[in-house]
Amino acid sequence: MERLSRRSFMKIAGGAAGAAALAAAPPIARAAVGEEGAQPTNPTTGVPEEPVVAYVRDASRGEVTVTSGTAEHTYRDRALVQRLMRAAGRKDVR
Amino acid sequence: MSSHREAPAISQDPVADNADTYAFVSPDDPSTVTIITNYVPLEGPPGGPNFFEFGDDVLYSIYVDNDGDALPEIEFRFRFKTTLQNPETFLYNTGPIGSLTDPNWNKRQLYSVSVVRGNRGGDEDGDGWNGKILGANLACPPCNIGPRSTPNYDALAATAVHSLPGGISVFAGQRNDGFFVDLGAIFDLGDIRELNMAHLIPMATGTSVDPLKTLNIHTIAIKVPIGMLTRDGSSPSNVLSPTSVLGIWGGASRRKVQVRDGHGVRQSGPWVQVSRLGNPLFNEVIVPVGDKDRWNAVDPIDDVGFEKYVNQPELARLLPVLYPGAFPNLAAYTKNRADLHAILLTGIPQGVVPGFQNFTGPKPADMLRLNVAIPPTTSNPNALGLVGGDAAGFPNGRRVFDDIVSIELKAIAGATIPLVDPSFTPDGAVGLVSSYLTPGADRYQSSFPYLGTPHDGYDTPSS
Repeated sequence: MERLSRRSFMKIAGGAAGAAALAAAPPIARAAVGEEGAQPTNPTTGVPEEPVVAYVRDASRGEVTVTSGTAEHTYRDRALVQRLMRAAGRKDVR
Repeated sequence: MSSHREAPAISQDPVADNADTYAFVSPDDPSTVTIITNYVPLEGPPGGPNFFEFGDDVLYSIYVDNDGDALPEIEFRFRFKTTLQNPETFLYNTGPIGSLTDPNWNKRQLYSVSVVRGNRGGDEDGDGWNGKILGANLACPPCNIGPRSTPNYDALAATAVHSLPGGISVFAGQRNDGFFVDLGAIFDLGDIRELNMAHLIPMATGTSVDPLKTLNIHTIAIKVPIGMLTRDGSSPSNVLSPTSVLGIWGGASRRKVQVRDGHGVRQSGPWVQVSRLGNPLFNEVIVPVGDKDRWNAVDPIDDVGFEKYVNQPELARLLPVLYPGAFPNLAAYTKNRADLHAILLTGIPQGVVPGFQNFTGPKPADMLRLNVAIPPTTSNPNALGLVGGDAAGFPNGRRVFDDIVSIELKAIAGATIPLVDPSFTPDGAVGLVSSYLTPGADRYQSSFPYLGTPHDGYDTPSS
């Protein structure tokens, strides 16, 4: 995962920070990271007070942005983007 | 209007829509500067049962640049929190509201004020905070509902002026909107009713109407000792010193991500600016509609991209068309408008107006520029400000009663070109360009927060 933002989100906690962030992310992202064949789920609880959100910023460039608190970091991670796109049911995944 | 519904995106988000920003040396306390930013434009006073309020999910900021770099060295932040005393009633209040802690007042807002010094916004480490809290759990006054609910409104609102450490005063709540303009005419193809006969589509001469005279606004006001704002901590007395000039603007921001899932609304990500305002009418009249949302999103330091709209303003080209034959000299003037560039983007340098300057440097940036060494005009101030010979008014900062529409219309029509280009002679019609409005005395008050008592919903409209 190549970090594109200038702050040291990954540097602080290594790969674990990214994994932790995505583990707390909405179900679609969590499923996409851990499993090739992501299964839809029906969440039973509300969104946490400060959700961690990951969104595909530019699929063609493999860029995903993660927001947590008032921080935001953008990474280049083509594998993660592909998983998210598949979980989203998008057919235009390369 | 100054900036009421001035851009497509922010017009859909009134609680974050910065409608006016004012900055002036306080006339009754000249060792201080008062800065006001207004939100929630065009409030109809009877708008209950959910009367108008600030956004709990909005970050309201007042920025001060004290070294001319178009970046804020000081940011005052205001955050609001709405509380319900009784969720089992539909009423805003269940009886007369006699105090800011009256149990009859059901839906109320509290707020915090903080200051961030140095690099804009802080929070570079993503920890959410690097400022200093000046005050917390400060009460807003209720909206002015009517004689049964808010029977002693002036006294009640006065208790919502809070004194903070360091000689700072703050107020946040509903006020009378002090801005005045014939909105209905000006956006009906640039009409001025008194000049109806001269318009491209002529009509019988009329009398200007001010629709804002019965509307309210939500005001954030702060009064700060001058020495807390200047670059060296002084209270300057030399008008010609760069230290005497402050760049000031307001802005509102929302979190980047909003998640709705049926259980509520949650936010994530950094604050993203959705509205700003320095000089009145800049985004409204100078910036074309296709660029207005972008202007709201960027900072003054990025205003170089908007310079072209100031240099060749659309309205200066429209006036000779809308009023055929009235502006021949303006129509023939094709040079860049160095006068407007100075007034709006850099400040007026020394030597243009004798004994005056509010120059912040060559960096073009839309900010109010206030020379704090110029004392307030306390006797018969001229609402035309500097154009009217009163250097304590716009474009030296902006006072609540300054006749912005007249000043800026005259300037765009060519009145200020001779300041930088003596070969130009303004057209005679410049003298006729005016708001033709004189606001009532109820619009303002002589002490902080300087905007008058808001209209109450029972009596307004009166019929």
